[in-house]
Amino acid sequence: MKNEKNYSKEHLLYLKDVKRKSVFINVVRFAVLFLLLGLWELSAHFEWVNPFITSSPSRICKTIADLYQNGSLFLHVSTTLWETLLGFFIAVALGYSIALLLWWSEAFRRISEPYFVVLNALPKIALGPLIIIWFGTGSKAIVFMTVLIGLIVAILNMLNGFMSTDENKLLLLRSMGASKLQLLTKLVIPSSLPNFISMLKINVGMAWIGSIMGEYIVSKAGIGYLIVYGGQVFKLDLVMSAVFILCVLAAIMYALVALLEKLVIKNQK
Amino acid sequence: MKEVLRFENVSMHYHSKQGETVAVENMNFSVSEGEFVAIIGPSGCGKTTLLSLAAGLLPPTGGEVKTNGCTFGYMLQKDELFPWRTIEKNIFLPLEIKRKNTPENRERALALAEKYGLKQFLKNYPSSLSGGMRQRAALIRTLAVDPDVLLLDEPFSALDYQTRLSVCDDVYRIIRSEKKTALLITHDISEAISVADKIFVLSHRPAQVVATHALDFPEHEPLKRRENKEFSKWFEILWRELNV
Repeated sequence: MKNEKNYSKEHLLYLKDVKRKSVFINVVRFAVLFLLLGLWELSAHFEWVNPFITSSPSRICKTIADLYQNGSLFLHVSTTLWETLLGFFIAVALGYSIALLLWWSEAFRRISEPYFVVLNALPKIALGPLIIIWFGTGSKAIVFMTVLIGLIVAILNMLNGFMSTDENKLLLLRSMGASKLQLLTKLVIPSSLPNFISMLKINVGMAWIGSIMGEYIVSKAGIGYLIVYGGQVFKLDLVMSAVFILCVLAAIMYALVALLEKLVIKNQK
Repeated sequence: MKEVLRFENVSMHYHSKQGETVAVENMNFSVSEGEFVAIIGPSGCGKTTLLSLAAGLLPPTGGEVKTNGCTFGYMLQKDELFPWRTIEKNIFLPLEIKRKNTPENRERALALAEKYGLKQFLKNYPSSLSGGMRQRAALIRTLAVDPDVLLLDEPFSALDYQTRLSVCDDVYRIIRSEKKTALLITHDISEAISVADKIFVLSHRPAQVVATHALDFPEHEPLKRRENKEFSKWFEILWRELNV
């Protein structure tokens, strides 16, 4: 890498230009956010729209502050977060393992294919009543729903990654006399790392869908519960606040996976 | 001279739902220790099948492949270095696969890498190396387990012309100085003439050996051979035989 002192004048100008553009993008991003929030607040304040229906940023802040003060904010957030994370990790771990088995055995792969296709297409919410009867009305049912929604996607994504291993690299390893287990550990698993990361990203979204949907069906606490409850009693401030909290949590979880991606995939090209 | 590889009436039939393909039929040839043999043939004549048969990756459907207990190292069209491994770790790969990852063997492989100018790249990832250097690293990886015979499946065809000539020279030099037997498969006539002691010409599918030539150039380096008068004469002979 060249030392900065050695850069030509043009190159310095170019770098400056690149930096200016990226600053501009960031400034405008936040400007758009504040503009929208401001417009929302003003239109509610001057009652251009009915704030009872649309809520407003200040009402959302107040609602969240109230939830915090009466101590229920932590309960709802932790309940949903726990269900989401548990469902996410079970779906990922189980999905990865099943995908490995499917890669290993062609017969198993071919036999199970139609079942996965149907299960993938099935709207999992249709199983709602069964889940309540089988798992009761506690967190167990919601975690099960989360796993159910993430699992098939995890399996299909990982299997796709395993199956698209470079044929020539497989040939190379076979010519060295590699066993099937060695093919797996030396080549198939490391080369499917990008697929693993993208599967994690997809499953972050799936896990939130699963836990919120699970809470819609049956729950005593959680963010999904707040949304349903808020809707039923027409407290739309509560609904909006819950959605806002959800946005923040989902963004944090996605950012963590993106960070993991940066750490893990440095040399993959 | 000891024979390291012999094909005796070897046939290879592929089966698929669409039908049966005869890739190789009654193939006979042999390779002796220390020889550099090139096999040329029209494209799609089953050249790669031949190498897979020689390496024991495919059992022949007829005849016999005799290897005399020799070990084989395979080199493919592309370097196929694993991008998530450093050059050093790539070179150790066959040692790991064959469970020979001992300090002595690693030492041997590193000595080879050092001898052929890869020392400074050992801790680098393949993406930071040039095409020529990568192919050289692939060769050192093949040599790491000290195989008796090298099977080269058009190892230069993925490189641009300039790099190709110099890498060809490079690989030839290393194989010669390590005193390895080599079997090169290619569709590039001039490449075959520039490196081989012996050339087998294959027919269209089903592949059979239609001609055998022993080359006796006074020069040994591929680039020098290309300047010899005989070179174009050989080219013409082989070109005719390929286009029968």
